[in-house]
Amino acid sequence: MNSRVFTCILCPNGCEIEVCHEDGRVLETEGNKCKKGQQYVEQELTDPRRTIASSVRIKGSFLPLCSVRLTKPVPKQAIFSVMEEINKAELTAPVRIGEIVIRNVCGLESDVIVTKNMERS
Amino acid sequence: MTGKKYDVIIIGGGVVGSAVARELSRYRLCICVLEKELDVCNGVSGRNTGLLHSGILSGEHSLRTECCIEGNAEFDRVARELDVPFKRCGKLIVGFGEREKRSLEELFSHGKKCGIPGIRMIGHDEIRAIEPNADGEWAIHVPTAGILCPYTYTIALAENAARNGVHYYFDQEVTAIDRREESYCVHTGNTEWHSRWVINCAGVSACRISPMLGFGEYIPKRVKGEYEILDKKVGRFLSVPIYPAPGEDGDCDLHITPTVDGNVLVGPTLEEVGEEEDYRATREKIDLLARQGARLFPNHVKREYFIRNYVGIFPYVADPLTGERVDFQIQSDKRIPHAVNVVGISTPGLTSALPIARRVAEKVKEQEALTVNERFCPVRKGIVRFADQDDEGKRRLIRQDPDYGEICCRCECVTMAEIRQAVHNILGVSTVSGIKYRTRATMGRCQGGYCETRITSMIEEELKKEVTEVLWNQKNSQMFTGRVK
Amino acid sequence: MDVRDVVIVGGGPAGLAAAVALKKLGISDVLVIEREKQLGGILRQCIHDGFGLTRFGETLSGPEYSQRFIDEAEACQVDVAVNATVIDITPGKIVTIDTRDGLLQVKAKAVVLTMGCRERTRGALSIPGTRPAGVYNAGVAQSYINLYNTMVGKNVVIMGSGDIGLIMARRLTLEGAHVEGVFEILPYPSGLPRNIEQCLNDYGIPLYLSHSVIEIRGEKRIQSVVVAQADKNMQVIEGTEKEFPCDTLILSVGLIPENELSLGAGVCLDERTKGAVVDDSFQTSVPGIFAAGNVLHVHDLVDFVSLEAEALAEGVHQYLREGCLEEAGIRVKTDCHIGHVIPQKVSGNKEVQLSLRVRQPMKSCRFRIRQGGSIIREFKVPKAIPAEMIQFRIKAEDFLSREDIEVTVDE
Repeated sequence: MNSRVFTCILCPNGCEIEVCHEDGRVLETEGNKCKKGQQYVEQELTDPRRTIASSVRIKGSFLPLCSVRLTKPVPKQAIFSVMEEINKAELTAPVRIGEIVIRNVCGLESDVIVTKNMERS
Repeated sequence: MTGKKYDVIIIGGGVVGSAVARELSRYRLCICVLEKELDVCNGVSGRNTGLLHSGILSGEHSLRTECCIEGNAEFDRVARELDVPFKRCGKLIVGFGEREKRSLEELFSHGKKCGIPGIRMIGHDEIRAIEPNADGEWAIHVPTAGILCPYTYTIALAENAARNGVHYYFDQEVTAIDRREESYCVHTGNTEWHSRWVINCAGVSACRISPMLGFGEYIPKRVKGEYEILDKKVGRFLSVPIYPAPGEDGDCDLHITPTVDGNVLVGPTLEEVGEEEDYRATREKIDLLARQGARLFPNHVKREYFIRNYVGIFPYVADPLTGERVDFQIQSDKRIPHAVNVVGISTPGLTSALPIARRVAEKVKEQEALTVNERFCPVRKGIVRFADQDDEGKRRLIRQDPDYGEICCRCECVTMAEIRQAVHNILGVSTVSGIKYRTRATMGRCQGGYCETRITSMIEEELKKEVTEVLWNQKNSQMFTGRVK
Repeated sequence: MDVRDVVIVGGGPAGLAAAVALKKLGISDVLVIEREKQLGGILRQCIHDGFGLTRFGETLSGPEYSQRFIDEAEACQVDVAVNATVIDITPGKIVTIDTRDGLLQVKAKAVVLTMGCRERTRGALSIPGTRPAGVYNAGVAQSYINLYNTMVGKNVVIMGSGDIGLIMARRLTLEGAHVEGVFEILPYPSGLPRNIEQCLNDYGIPLYLSHSVIEIRGEKRIQSVVVAQADKNMQVIEGTEKEFPCDTLILSVGLIPENELSLGAGVCLDERTKGAVVDDSFQTSVPGIFAAGNVLHVHDLVDFVSLEAEALAEGVHQYLREGCLEEAGIRVKTDCHIGHVIPQKVSGNKEVQLSLRVRQPMKSCRFRIRQGGSIIREFKVPKAIPAEMIQFRIKAEDFLSREDIEVTVDE
């Protein structure tokens, strides 16, 4: 049996959760204010995932970049492969929040979407 | 590469070089200024207290005192001609206790002897009447002293010279000078410049240029002075510069000076650094400024009002034989035709710049008859500042140019119109600090937090520069490493 | 001169939330003045996610969060002036606005201050050393990178562990820079624990607590910083100096409410918050001038900024209806463990929410609110850290008298 301390990142509370675990199974948690904390550490122990935010070049708008994010977290180790795809993308104004920039990026079942309305300038 | 042939090359575009350029542009001469930095106020000229000195602190009867008194007397007119903000606010040199009283009395009688106009010894009550926030048992009141912005003045001289036909070239550090067939060849990097006349106004580097021309060897010395700039919130509590009584060495230590723009300067700390160029601020001196500043200007020198610190350099020149500090030198020599050597210019160089320039012109006239340039215009208009206008003036400006209706720097209330004019300045300076010196943008309490992105964008767009070509203040001072994507 | 019921200065998350809330209370004549060309304030450049969980129950990026309010403001027909900068507010509530169409003056019945905050700079800290290019405030770097497509550097040291600095550590890493480390002079981080986790730990960026940058080196572009350990009084421990090569230094060393306009209007500021002194209606010392959000005190989360601004609407509504608000005569005092509290004075006639921050991290703490020797309220909190704002409610019936109240905390 092992124990480890996690800082939950799911909400601003940032609970410090002490976990007893064995073979990727959570035996006991302490410190989490809600049950999401338990889910978080389970995920962290087996398959840590993160969502990322970045930007994509955009043509024809008042600024050169449009902000984007992922719709679902992706495995931590895939972050920089996803960034490579994001860096290749380019948009043309106008775009609206929620528009898909890259569908199913790197086959990870998460989409890169626009997070800023950008008009044509 | 070989450059154009000039009548006069001026080495150095600081306040003295630019004053000389302006003075000589009164005559029909083809003149250029070679400046090693990317702007005219990056060296000593931009790094001082910005005081119009009276001459009382300039030591024994000397060229230094003579030029200072002359420059002081004419400055109201000069400021009007060149559109340079200036206040003849006077100055207090204050003291406590018997020792300081004696040193003030000595200084006072020296001032009388030099003919400094209007000076008086006053007591505590009169000190308070002049400046309620000053403290001291005795003081010398020096009514002719004033405050001006040193870089605005330098820029104004240079712009007026340029308007009258002088060419400015930046990033031109002089490496050698040859005399060939009645003319000079001045080498900078990979360019050769030809001219009948060479005038050495290189400031701190003048000692290096002097022997290249055949004039004497001098030892450059530097005194380093650290300053703090206080928030404009404090500015309204100080109307006159406050100096402490001279210490044992006769120098007036750290002082408190209102700036013409409404800030307050604390400093300089004075420290001999010899020949090295050292612009590092130190923890020790920053703490000293806080402590000593609070003594001279109680309740207002607080760390929360510090918005920026900087290091000034006060050069002076020593005689290699005696090691003594030399007076201002404005030299010509029959054996070195068509050259004027200006070395040893130290404080009050700002006040003395035009008197020095006139003396340089006299030296030129001793060897050559000059024809007056009828088209010379002594008047220069600066960028009209939105912040300085009343509401009607502001409305008028916006009507003339809607860019005045867009604030770029919120702390100093500088508009996009002013930034645009600065970006297209006549000298062709394109650094971010150049825009700052010409508009005051980024000089407020947020230090560019809001406006710097707009300024760099405008430099890129208006001057068609790549993002990696945007420079902070000097060569290789890139602001950015490239595009994000 | 144009006369308006309410002029709101600043169209960020506070100003927009206040505008919408005022409209919902039936105040039809509301004008929001925004100096940028777009609404949204600083959130335009905060492209990371994590906003909105409290206010909207889902996690959003900054631009998405602000768009919710922009849409609402549009739906309820709030008047908006963008690319318009307020340059003066008089105590008589005449607001002067610089625009491309001219200098506008508006007489407001009520003014709402929502100008946000600015970053503390290198100059304010007086960091010794040279003045090369490559020293940026975190928010400025964020703007360059996220809005202007301009990379500020490749090899970065971050001074201060404020949230923006942590967020920028991750942003810079994602965009290909190397972040050498984050140096915090205090023995605990200034930013939120989740940001330490997801912005630093996830990317293997070291956090050096009790460390500070003591010198900047390099003549043209920054070349290195000297870092040293600091003792608990934030004094450098000699002999611990170490040089870190870098081409960029990012400062994330605190935020200061932006109150220059407020001062011009005669508003009294609190030495501790650097924001206005307000009562339980968020009214400042000048009747009819209100303040909320980061201009009042620096918040940890934007959700609380918007919620505070929404809470302000009721007081403005009452002021417009009655021409004045009841004097709030009860002062709110705090003990030495509490950095500041909002509001600084209350009327005692209505429920009030206190927002405060502790000065040092504390565990299992008990907050007590006393009035005239009696404890009128008590709250227990498992942990309190300076990075987090703490909020409590006091009910109208809790107040025993008109005496001042005091908030204390012990572990």
